[in-house]
Amino acid sequence: MRKLLRLALATGLAIWAWRFFVRGRGPHERASVAYADGSDVVLEPGSPEFDRLASIARTVLPA
Amino acid sequence: MNADQALAELRELSSQVARAVVLEDGGEVLAGTDDGPDASQALAAAAQALVAAAGELHATAGDVSRAEVELAQGGFFVLREGGRTIAATTGPGPTAGLVMYDLRTCLNAIDAKPKRRRAPRKKADEEAAE
Repeated sequence: MRKLLRLALATGLAIWAWRFFVRGRGPHERASVAYADGSDVVLEPGSPEFDRLASIARTVLPA
Repeated sequence: MNADQALAELRELSSQVARAVVLEDGGEVLAGTDDGPDASQALAAAAQALVAAAGELHATAGDVSRAEVELAQGGFFVLREGGRTIAATTGPGPTAGLVMYDLRTCLNAIDAKPKRRRAPRKKADEEAAE
């Protein structure tokens, strides 16, 4: 039982470390829009809506 | 403070903002940080395109008040308040909240239309009379 707990703990730590050190280093891309009625939308890469907004932004950002 | 002065102050205060432009309600450029009018016009056109595209995402929610896109090469921010629009670009990894705060401060620093300026003065005069 203790071995199983240690294994679960080690697995959890490994996943956390991978997310913290590997994924966290990549550029975080996102888009968000707020509306007059107080609602907002957050778009993550991969969606066609994000791609559309990103393509507009790229026209004014350095390549 | 006019729009040019407000943008100059924005450039002094914000180390993150690279380029910025202020637009009137109709889309005409009030002021820009770019050297030439063509560059300011291009930034203004991109801001209007972003607002239009963002508006189509959520058609029933009314006007777009803020749009921001963060990419690996930098950020593009658009803020609309009081009938004016300010758009700005930044370098990679901007602090979005801080950039928006700076843009809002810049927009609010630009002289308001006469109707909006008179209201607080009148109130202050009334309080002084009491």
